[in-house]
Order: sequence, then C-alpha cells, then structure tokens
Amino acid sequence: MHDEQAAALGRVVATERKPNTPHEFHFWTALDSPVGIGTIVRVDGDQAVNGQLPRIYGIVVEGFSYTDLQTPLHDVLGHDGTPAGASLAATKRAEIRLYSAAVLRQVPEEPLQPVPMGEVFLADDQDVAIALRMDGYLREDARTGIPVGVYRAGGTDAPIYLDADFLLGPEAAHLNITGVSGLATKTSAIEWILSSIFAHFPAQKGSVAALCFNVKGPDLCFLDKPGEIDAADRALYDKCGVPARPFESVQYFAPYKPDGFSLNTLRSNEALLENVTSLTWGLREVLQYAEVLLNKDDVDAKADALIDFIRERVVDREFQDAMLGNRRYFVKSFADLEDWFRDVLSALEGKNSEGWRTHHIATIRKVRNRLSNISTRCAGLVTDSGNVSDLPFGSFEDRTVYVIDVASLDEAAQDLIFARVVTRLREHLEKRDLGVNHVVVFVDELNKYAPSDGQDTYVRKMLLDLAERGRYLGLVLFSAQQFRSQVHRRVVGNSGTALYGRMDADELATPGYSVLSPAVKTKLATLEKGQLMVRHPHFTQPIFVRFPRPAVMRGRDGAERYPQAGDVDLETAVLRSLRTLDPSLTLGWVRDAIGIRDDDEVIRARNAVLRERPADVRKAFTAQLRPVVAAESASRPSGPPLRTAPSDDPYGF
Amino acid sequence: MRVLASLLPGANLGLPGETAFDSIPLPSEPARTISTIVIESGPMRAHRVFEPPEGGFVAFLDGTQASRVLYASEAGVPIVHGTAAAVVRERRSKRLYTWRHVVRHRLYAARSRLQPALWTGLLESGIELRDTSDRDEDALPLGDHPFALRDAAIHLLQKDRETAEIELAAEWCAREAKPLLIDGGISGSERVAASPCAIGIVKTHRTLYAEGDALAQILSLRRGERSSVFRITSPKRATVASWYLRLRDRSGADPMWGLVRVEIAHPERTEEHGIGARADDASRWILAEVAPIALPDSRWDKMVYGIRDCEEFLRAVM
Repeated sequence: MHDEQAAALGRVVATERKPNTPHEFHFWTALDSPVGIGTIVRVDGDQAVNGQLPRIYGIVVEGFSYTDLQTPLHDVLGHDGTPAGASLAATKRAEIRLYSAAVLRQVPEEPLQPVPMGEVFLADDQDVAIALRMDGYLREDARTGIPVGVYRAGGTDAPIYLDADFLLGPEAAHLNITGVSGLATKTSAIEWILSSIFAHFPAQKGSVAALCFNVKGPDLCFLDKPGEIDAADRALYDKCGVPARPFESVQYFAPYKPDGFSLNTLRSNEALLENVTSLTWGLREVLQYAEVLLNKDDVDAKADALIDFIRERVVDREFQDAMLGNRRYFVKSFADLEDWFRDVLSALEGKNSEGWRTHHIATIRKVRNRLSNISTRCAGLVTDSGNVSDLPFGSFEDRTVYVIDVASLDEAAQDLIFARVVTRLREHLEKRDLGVNHVVVFVDELNKYAPSDGQDTYVRKMLLDLAERGRYLGLVLFSAQQFRSQVHRRVVGNSGTALYGRMDADELATPGYSVLSPAVKTKLATLEKGQLMVRHPHFTQPIFVRFPRPAVMRGRDGAERYPQAGDVDLETAVLRSLRTLDPSLTLGWVRDAIGIRDDDEVIRARNAVLRERPADVRKAFTAQLRPVVAAESASRPSGPPLRTAPSDDPYGF
Repeated sequence: MRVLASLLPGANLGLPGETAFDSIPLPSEPARTISTIVIESGPMRAHRVFEPPEGGFVAFLDGTQASRVLYASEAGVPIVHGTAAAVVRERRSKRLYTWRHVVRHRLYAARSRLQPALWTGLLESGIELRDTSDRDEDALPLGDHPFALRDAAIHLLQKDRETAEIELAAEWCAREAKPLLIDGGISGSERVAASPCAIGIVKTHRTLYAEGDALAQILSLRRGERSSVFRITSPKRATVASWYLRLRDRSGADPMWGLVRVEIAHPERTEEHGIGARADDASRWILAEVAPIALPDSRWDKMVYGIRDCEEFLRAVM
C-alpha cells in the first residue's frame, strides 16, 4: 500500500510551448524539494480513463530554474551593477524549479495517452518496482532478480534488480560497463555484480561460474581475500541481500615466465599459491589456434594448407614418408616438430627438389619459421616439451571464479589464451559437459580486444560470436572499457545490460550518447565513486544506483600485503610449487632430489607432479626424474704381487 | 457564457480574445492639484531619509480587476463579466507566500434596461449579479449611452475590487500587528485608515496634493528624499497622513519618475509631533523595497517588488 499521507512534492504542468506527451512530462516543485536528476516520481491523474485513474511513473531527466526576470540586464539595473547589493534585498525574486521527466511506465498501459495534469509524488519502494517493471520478475513464485544496486532519492532506498533471464540468458544477455579509468568503478562494479549473481542466481536456472581475464595490474588477484568496507557499504549489502564477504571459491591460473619455472603473475607470493595453477600448453593446444598468432600477411592460402596438413596428418600421430627414409615420426611437441621440419627440408635440399606433397619449399621454410617462433614469443605459456596444464574444462564448479592472469604477457599470448579458453568453454557448453550451466566471461579493456576500427582479428571475431550467440549456450560476456564509442558496435549493442560510471566529457559528446539529456550527461560526467547509471531491457530509461565497495581486497592493497615473489633459482621455484601439495618439503630435499639433472627435466617432473597431485609428492617427483647411475669409487686393478725379498739377499735379486 | 447562450439562443456572444471585450479602459480622472495642510513642522520641504533602507514590511497587498462585455442587447445594454481579486502575500525568509486571497466573479448589468426574463434567468443560474442601475443618491443619472452603461459597470467592479482589498487589509490588521504595504491609498476604509499597521503607496498622480512652491518642492525631490507630511481629507474618505517619496533618481523629463505618495493613519493631535519620525521609518522601509527591481512592469520606477509579486499572483489565479 502506498502511504496515502505522503505529501505531493510537485504538480504537472503543460503549456502549448511545452506540452506533455506520452513519453515526457513537466512538473514544478517547491524550491526545497528533494527532486534531482535521476529521481523517480509518480503522477496521480485525477481523470479516470476506462474507469481507472491513471498512474504515471517517470524519471527526472532535465531541470530548469528561472525567475520572473525578462532579461539578466534587469537584475543588473536593479542592483546598480553591484552584485553584493543583491544580498541586501528584502525579498528574493519569485523562482521556479521546473523539471522534465521521461515516462517509465503508464498504468494502465492502454490507451497510451499524454501524461495528464496531476499531483507528483516521490516514488516509494513499491512505485520503483512498478516503474521499472521489476514486479514481473520479483514474484515469489518466479523470482529472477539480481540486485545491481540501490536507488536512493529523498528518503527512498529501493534495491534495483536486473532480470537474470536478461542478464545471463536466454532472453538477452551480456553486460558492458563504461567509465573513466582510475576510479576503480568498472572492476569494483563487476566484482560486486558477480557477488550478487552468486548470491541470487535462481536455483531453478542451474549453476553459474565466472571466468575473469586479469589484463592489468593486480586488479583481480585477491578476490578470495577480505577487503575493507564501511558501515554505508554494509547497509547496501544488507539492502540487497548479498553477503559482505569475499568470494569463497577462486582458482587462479597463470603461465610461467620465459624461464619456465617462475609464475608470471602478481599473485606469486608463497602464502597465496595454494589456489594458483600454472597455465602451459603444448603444440597440440596451440596449433589449433595458429591463426591467432600468425597474421594474415604471413599465412596465405598455401601456408594455411601446410598448417592444416601438419595439424591433420603429422601432429599426435605416427607419420612416415618415403622421402624421409620411412622414418617414423611421433610429433607431440614443438621440439618434435622442429626435428620433423629439419628432416623434411634436409631431404628436399638433398634431392635438390623444390616441392614436397604440393608444398613449395619456400612455404615450408616460412611455416617452419613462423611456428617455431610461437614457442619463443609465448615462452612460459607454450612449452617446447608439450607439457600441458590447463583449466579444469569439464569440472567447472558452481559459484567459483576462475581468474587467468594475463597482465604480464605478450599481446600475442594474451590473444592465444583468450581465443583458446573461450573456444573450449563454448565447446563444452555446447556439449553440456563443462560442469556448470552458465559461465560469465569478464574481459576488461574491450577497446583493445574488440575495437570499432582496425583490422579484423581472430579475438574480435570471437568476441562478436560470443556477444551474438553466447546467450543460447549460457556463455555470457561481461566487458568493460573506458570508451564505449571505440568498441565494436555489435559487441556493445548485444549487451542487454549496460552500466556507466563517471564518463569523460569527450566520450559523452559522441553520437552514442545523444539520447541522453544534457542534465543526465552532466550527472554522468560528475558521478562519484560507487554510483552507476544502469540500462536494462526492462527499464525504459536509464536509472542511477549506488553499489557497495566489493568485499574483496583491492589489488593495490593486496600487492602491498602480499608482495610478488622475486625471481628465484630453479630449486626454490620447484620447492614453492610442490609445497602447495606437501608443506613438509624443504629446499635441501629438493636440491638433493634434483642433483645434477638439467632444467628441462626438472621442470617436466615438477609439472607432472602438479598435474597429477599425488598423495606422496616426494616419491612422485623423484619417480619423474631419470635414475642416475650411482657413483662408484674406481678400484685400482690388482697386479701381480711383488715378490718379497729373501731375507738373505740384501740386493733383492 | 454557457448560461447566457442558453438564455439567449442565437445571440452574438463575445468570445474571449476579441479585442473590444478583452480590455475595457478605465475612465480616467482629470489631472488636478489640491492644496493641503502640512502637519509636520515647518512649510512643505524636502527631507532627506538619512538612515539606510531597512526591510520593515511583513506583507504586501494588491488587488486587480478584469472585465469584458459578454453581450449587448439590441438597445446596446451591455452585460459585463467582471472579476475582482485581491491578495496578501506574506514575506517569510525573504520569500513571498500567499497569506490570503479572494477572487470574485460577477455579472454587471443595468437591471432596469434588461428584459425581466433575462435578469431572472441570470439570477436563477446562480451567478452573482450586480445591478448598475442601482445608483447612489448623489450620482449622476444613468444615461442611455452604451458606454455610460458600460462605465457604470466598470465603476461598480472597481468598488468591488476596493472592497476586496479593504476586506483583506482589515483582516490583516485585525490579526497581525506587523506592517502591511498596500498598493494604493488606505483612505477607503475608516478601519484600515486608522490602523497603524497599514501603509499605502500610491503610484498614480492624476491628483497632486500640493500647489505653488509646495508642488515645486515635491517635484524636485531627489532619490531618497521625502516631502513634509501633510493631511488628506475628503468628505467620503477617511483622513490620512501622506507624503511624497522619490524612490529613484529622476531621469529625463518625467517629473513623476520614481515618485510615490505614501499614506498612513493620521495621528492624534497630541502625536502629530512624531509624524516626521514615523514618515522617515516608513520611507526607509519603502526604499528597501526598490530591489529587486520590478521590471518588466512598465511602472517599475514606482513599483515595489512585493506589489508586482501580488499582481503576478493575481494574474495567475484570475
């Protein structure tokens, strides 16, 4: 029930010059009214239509203030040109606060008529729910609301809900957030919304996990550690019914540095390694996405055909060819592939031939050069040896965040990771064997990965595909960028939900924001931390909400509290990795176990143990190392015994 | 209008917006001068208001009227629709709010010149009717000229407007002791004219209350100067104390520029010695009201903002 005692705060007005329409109306208020840009109001009409008194809900999008002055010059004359004199006047001029509001909803919805004259009231919680059509998805029997924040105006504190069917599919999906850098709005908002999704995602819709690409700094490196929030934040958490605590289940993945044994992440502090897993791929994993790493100038149709041949006929299978002396090849790693290439080229040169199996020797040389180069460019991620440590495709867990730290990687490696991971997610979701029903993929810096201009890259094509078809699979893109206008239109256009933090004035001047009133743009340009403008399919107009700081440790705080591990030698790196499985290990034991073995062998053994996670780490690790023949002390060969001298022969003859 | 249309089917009724009906000019009185008795010590002269302006008024009162001819019979007898309204706007925290207002709509016609059935029909419709043929004993006889009939209606409406103003002023003075600035004179009501809280400000000067040297003194007043206080008496109106006050520098050739006449209650004989100080105080209060400027009103040189605000209010509600 509405509070019938609530006093009207304004009255609808309309003139011939400024008439009301079905989508916009005007009203005036007292000078001290709490109305501002973004305030939701309710108009109670007093003329029944089809036997029902109309109620109109609107959001304030523009404000005007003026006095009875006809020209500013009159005020100057009135005070003899001395501004200070104005304050001495006994009376203040008659002044008006006139607002324009965009209609959110009319009840009844038919016939759709211009907004009638009537009293204007501040919207209460119930009004807000009706105005934003949230009443349709907040029903007790079919509740699919995901809190995105709290609408606050004039004493009203109303949680605003997004519809899970329109946020995570299947009706619509995807979320995009825009805002200037440095205010921690974009990342914070995503963290908050993921918390909200995990807390409110309806059970009947199945399970949900999130996969985040950490593309810069330590932003997402401490999601499982508690952060500082104040009482105001707690109140927002309570209002939205979201627990104010860090994510309970987070898994981190990061490739190694080029040395092959130090994790290339800011979350490399020894105290945090228990849920950090290395991410390494071999030839098979990479070759499928070769086109991500090879630019189109390199890979023409001929080269593409050779790569296809290698992928289909050479890798991961036995290969024999008469020209190669019917030697049997088992190519499983970049090293094996390099051997194979070397033999093919040697054979061609030996025969003084220019072609082999329709492939020209120049093409073979080019492809060899480009493929061999991958393991160099993506060192740490791509291993020569073929060792694989991957995400747990097939056993993703509900309400778990998977973070892949690609912040310190070469751009090509980032592209490779993104392309392969998203493709695998899609493949598993198509087969319904990922482990969860929905995955939210968070990609920051969308300006870089899906720009509106520039050449068409594999990653951009993937993002477009994800944005256009992902919702049917449960693969949802949450993306962020500083300049929405510079992101491909089909990516942002397919985002059912759009959030806006504080915006840059230049960005707001671009055509994409022309639908916003000047006042809304001004508000967007001055939004404080923790405020967002929300567009959602159910909301006919953008809504301003507040959201709490995420209850997780901020990247900067985490980097100070858990400093990144410095570069260490191989033995220490192995110890740190294996200690996550067996804390009793010591550096001395590792040194003894490694002995004089070469680095590649040690790393291969370490990776195998980490992959298998055996109960007896010591035994498993040493088993992976080739046995070393025990050193034996050389025995002096025994010659014929010296004759003893006769006691009676003093010269020994 | 609907009532008239039902009573006079087929009659050519005036429509709102038609120029002839929209504004009926008030008959103007002849310009004249009248000598008065100065009650402040000495002859008529200019007095500088030395103390700085100070806001002393708590409320402002103004009234207005509007009229238009709705119908004229074959014989040219008009039926005039008149609206008389008045408002008191109270000042709180430098903002003006309505204390009370009245708006009265009436029809004005000469009953003796209309068909009895039409008069009865109008009367039965519930509209308040005012008979312009009901004249004072000393009034000139109502002629047959249609303009004379129309002017009679306008004069009666003018009286009704004054009545509304007096009603509000009297109510204010009965309930509030704080100063009220009234647009126009206060001599129309004995009760108001005797009240210490009522101060009238007159902007029109068809009648100047001075002659000869005294008039020259008044017309040469400078900004912030007032004349000596004099007494205004009239057989039909209350006696009041009055003085002239120049609100703005006289610029150009208009001797009345920024000149207002102030009316207050006439003091008892024993208190006449203090009338100068009282005039100074009231003048300071009025001088404080010149800002904000009352533009775009054409009378802004003489009008105080509170009165303009009353006019704007009445324009909105009439």
